[in-house]
Amino acid sequence: MADEVRDDLKYTKTHEWVEVKGKTAIVGITDHAQSELTDIVFAELPEAGKEITKGDELCVVESVKSVSEIYAPISGTIKKVNEDLEDTPEIINENPYDDGWLVEIEISNKEEVNALLDADAYKKLL
Amino acid sequence: MGITSPLHDLHEKLGATFTEFAGFTMPVQFSSIKDEHLCVRNGVGIFDVSHMSNVWISGKDAAALLSKTTIEDASRFGSGKSQYTALTREDGTVIDDTIFMHLDDKYMIIPNAGMAGPVTDWLKKQVEAFGFDAQVENVSRDYAIIAVQGPLSQKILQKVTDVDLSKIGFFACTHATIAGKKCILSHTGYTGELGFELQVNPAENAKVIFEELMKVGKEVNIKPIGLGARDTLRLEKCFLLAGNEFEGGRTPLEANLSWAMHWDHDFIGKEALLKQKENGDYQRLTCLQCTGRGIPRHGMKVEHSGKEIGVVSSGSMSPCLKTGIAMAYLDPGVVSLGDTVDIMIRGKSSEAEVVKPPFVKKDWAKTH
Repeated sequence: MADEVRDDLKYTKTHEWVEVKGKTAIVGITDHAQSELTDIVFAELPEAGKEITKGDELCVVESVKSVSEIYAPISGTIKKVNEDLEDTPEIINENPYDDGWLVEIEISNKEEVNALLDADAYKKLL
Repeated sequence: MGITSPLHDLHEKLGATFTEFAGFTMPVQFSSIKDEHLCVRNGVGIFDVSHMSNVWISGKDAAALLSKTTIEDASRFGSGKSQYTALTREDGTVIDDTIFMHLDDKYMIIPNAGMAGPVTDWLKKQVEAFGFDAQVENVSRDYAIIAVQGPLSQKILQKVTDVDLSKIGFFACTHATIAGKKCILSHTGYTGELGFELQVNPAENAKVIFEELMKVGKEVNIKPIGLGARDTLRLEKCFLLAGNEFEGGRTPLEANLSWAMHWDHDFIGKEALLKQKENGDYQRLTCLQCTGRGIPRHGMKVEHSGKEIGVVSSGSMSPCLKTGIAMAYLDPGVVSLGDTVDIMIRGKSSEAEVVKPPFVKKDWAKTH
């Protein structure tokens, strides 16, 4: 089954997706990433208010056997984290683009948005 | 790519993803580690464990050689019996753990993946040193190994064998025909469930056996199981994984193998182990169940009251308990059952309770 790539989102080479809404960016991992990780059983999220720089470790998701770092696709301040992931991290597998979002970031440098990949460019990486 | 199993093509067809393990390329999972894990706890799963080794020990002094080099007195086990034991060095540390099977006038041992060479060399060295009349032959590549595990394993395996499995006691072994192919069958396993292991020679016959078991097991949804679930299944039962639990040189006493120690015979390492036992001042493998969030992993530090007291040797999420579980080597005399320790997970502490092994009790499926 081919991995879903949504046309209205931006992407990174490290398989994060970004939905830009004005000054904020919602971030998650792509369908391809969740299917490679399989069975996500734990997500360690940052605290709201934390400032992060593009490329930094944003959070950690773990499957039964592996630990994977997720990188910040964009610099800014963490506004919100998806608290549902605390009890039900498996929603990242079930619904990576909707219920399985990770964090909401207030974008500090709009220029960085332009550096993200569009859907076609990301599809070429898969 | 490492050494592949004789079943490699079949695994590819079944949709396996592969991992490198001790020089072998083996399936890590077919569908999902969680699903495969629960399939073995609730029904039946089939494993290719051909990465494990096969070594024959024969000759007049075969039992004497085994007894001299392991913590077990092999002469206690007649033909048709098998036993779990460990080979130890002079300093008492474990070289490898293994099952030995007494078949007629020979013994087959099953060293871990990648350990056939070192174990064979070690045994041959002792044959010379002590003048035993014994032959040691590494036949690992001539054998494939299949494990059938789970509460429904006996029912499924019985459909394809001439051996009356109800008469094969726990840890018994025998020659058998499975799906028309000869093999050595033992009532053993690494999952803590009812199960059997098959040593298949010639190795290419394993394909027929594996496919036939998949066919007759279809009615109960038998699944192929990868090394991922094999690891979580064994950890829930507190079985040791050589590469993790013996890393850096650990003795059977440290690794909680006192139950397998047979002190009434002379063996390499006995003196050192007697001294360690008397002295008592050694780290012990301890079971920890997380009460906090986070998943313990190999190498993470364990603290108590802010002081480091040990290290995690194996850790994972338990698919049955849905909490983190770990085995850790902890300093003696600091904590006891029911106490709380802190596992340091990426710089943050996560609470865990010292619990009695195994994490998942016998017949778990009957109560869940």
